[in-house]
Amino acid sequence: MSSDSSSTSGDEFTNPNPNPNSTSKPLEDQFASAALTQPNNEPPEIQESPNGVVNGSVGENNHGEVESNEREGEVGSNLEARQSVRWRRTNSEVEVEAPSSPSSSGYAGERGSSSGSGSSGGFDMIGGGIGGGDDDEIQEVSNVDSIQDSQASWMPGKRHVDEDDASLSWRKRKKHFFILSNSGKPIYSRYGDEHKLAGFSATLQAIISFVENGGDRVKLVRAGNHQVVFLVKGPIYLVCISCTEEPYESLRGQLELIYGQMLLILTKSVNRCFEKNPKFDMTPLLGGTDVVFSSLIHSFSWNPATFLHAYTCLPLAYATRQAAGAILQDVADSGVLFAILMCKHKVISLVGAQKASLHPDDMLLLANFVMSSESFRTSESFSPICLPRYNPMAFLYAYVHYLDVDTYLMLLTTSSDAFYHLKDCRIRIEMVLLKSNVLSEVQRSMLDGGMHVEDLPTDPLPRSGTLSPHLGQPRDSLESFKEPFVGIGGPAGLWHLCTVVYFWINMYLLSSHHQLIAHVNRKDYIGLTRTFMLPCMI
Amino acid sequence: MGCSSSLPDRSSGQLAGLNSENGGVSDAKNLRVKLVLLGDSGVGKSCIVLRFVRGQFDPTSKVTVGASFLSQTIALQDSTTVKFEIWDTAGQERYAALAPLYYRGAAVAVVVYDITSPESFAKAQYWVKELQKHGNPDIVMALVGNKADLNEKREVPVQDGIDYAEKNGMFFIETSAKTADNINQLFEEIAKRLPRPASS
Repeated sequence: MSSDSSSTSGDEFTNPNPNPNSTSKPLEDQFASAALTQPNNEPPEIQESPNGVVNGSVGENNHGEVESNEREGEVGSNLEARQSVRWRRTNSEVEVEAPSSPSSSGYAGERGSSSGSGSSGGFDMIGGGIGGGDDDEIQEVSNVDSIQDSQASWMPGKRHVDEDDASLSWRKRKKHFFILSNSGKPIYSRYGDEHKLAGFSATLQAIISFVENGGDRVKLVRAGNHQVVFLVKGPIYLVCISCTEEPYESLRGQLELIYGQMLLILTKSVNRCFEKNPKFDMTPLLGGTDVVFSSLIHSFSWNPATFLHAYTCLPLAYATRQAAGAILQDVADSGVLFAILMCKHKVISLVGAQKASLHPDDMLLLANFVMSSESFRTSESFSPICLPRYNPMAFLYAYVHYLDVDTYLMLLTTSSDAFYHLKDCRIRIEMVLLKSNVLSEVQRSMLDGGMHVEDLPTDPLPRSGTLSPHLGQPRDSLESFKEPFVGIGGPAGLWHLCTVVYFWINMYLLSSHHQLIAHVNRKDYIGLTRTFMLPCMI
Repeated sequence: MGCSSSLPDRSSGQLAGLNSENGGVSDAKNLRVKLVLLGDSGVGKSCIVLRFVRGQFDPTSKVTVGASFLSQTIALQDSTTVKFEIWDTAGQERYAALAPLYYRGAAVAVVVYDITSPESFAKAQYWVKELQKHGNPDIVMALVGNKADLNEKREVPVQDGIDYAEKNGMFFIETSAKTADNINQLFEEIAKRLPRPASS
């Protein structure tokens, strides 16, 4: 695992018992409660109030509380309060709305025909889960239960792209992502063919609009060990169904990134298409971008940048990065908005025009887009892209060129006519980088594999520059790390940062509950992120 | 999105940026032309270009994003050279509105369809009309039926292509990027049809 990348907070680090979350429970308690509550077949609840959701992230604490409350069967009358809203037996409205409500077992028989046939089948499936009373009968029927089943008998290797919501294998997927329109039209699904999932999409849409009709918003439905996270972005709905035990905030952040990725490809002006025609089918507009989304979703499981809101720097000697930064600065002064030199997902150097700042999430999405689209590797390209955090409404133009197998240059501009200028810039940059050996240094650093967890001292407390044997070996490219620890800035800060990250990764692995990560206060991340960005911004 | 603004009067003042280095002609013996490939997604535009420029064929489909830029110089028998600066555009619908960005000021447009797909032939006709409306009025247009190696799956008769090309004053050829059939011929034919400077 290459962990050289992340950032967390120094404050967290010095505090052995970080409590960034509102609940002031020591970590041990959280572990304890997490270990104690095994999710079982309790009916799903819909959490409504913002507070309720924050609560949810604390892990299973909330879960327990919910279980004890679950017989109250309240429906969203008290939305402002901290209580969660849950549907149990009270969801008669739901069943009334569903066109026909065949018995749960009846549905099981019809599974094969449910796809694409409107909402009844899918809706009932969820309805069964929500009703939750007769577990025996609906075992196969409810989404929840069937997936729970699958955990006991998980069959690896059953991967079919042509599956749909009727296929058992589809239901067994650990983590689904969906994008749909507010009329229920599928736009993207991580697994299965979007068009076959029309019925399922309609179900999701129905849930969202049902709650919206009550003047509220649905954020999270918890069903057994599954969470269904909703994110509404104007006419676009994003849904994640996951049994990975990641906290709500984390899943929501992933949905935000998926939405950002969509904006990067299309800009927010797609909303206008829905204004003109609510039944607008967006799938053709995203044609050929499946790989972009799937690579982003995959990165949720390996790239810390996806939850840290910070980007990863490639370890380089100060002088090398300085040389790269200087030439990028040079072109940025000539009317380039952003000049970014990257190696895979790691930043070598980054320069922006005056007053322009590039959000790390935009970097992540842009890098993901470029790396997952094979065509960029074949030749230089000039492509419209949108940076959602910079300006979600407008396209920028990206000149992309791979300097070697992994290293690529991205020059962003607002001018659609700038191709030849950017091409000239690239030729200049490439010459300088070759002359000053930056590219070979970069390759060397990549071969080194960046920093490894084992490079770091195991003691999570700050210390002065004791190096593990691996890092201690004389290596030019990592010269800068040999400076003793003096403060939070510069290379030493990066070093400090790594030790912090190591501490957290340890906690992460030990706990096997992802919640811990999310408990680190985001502000602290940002603080350290800035420091982290420093070496490459120079 | 720039589409409507790109009226045919472009030979005049708008030759900045994308077109700045594309005067069309450098001198009598060494031509330099901007060529744009248009067509539905998946018809093999990138494959044609890569076969022509690098002599490669990659059967794995790589969706083009935006547009790729490649160049290749060919020598003709009359000892002139033609340097093609090729804009290989993405066929996806979302890029259709941005196409004028790439075909603006182009001296040559190669409109590609897939002989196994009538839809792509219809799309090719759309592009021809689009170019007639908004493109350079002197543009040299070629209609290319690609994937000629899949003759047994053919759904667009050769004659349809020939007829349509003839009606619209285009040059027609069927190619196969996979077998390299007619690829070089395509570009050589285009080169021959280019308007030459007066001295030649």
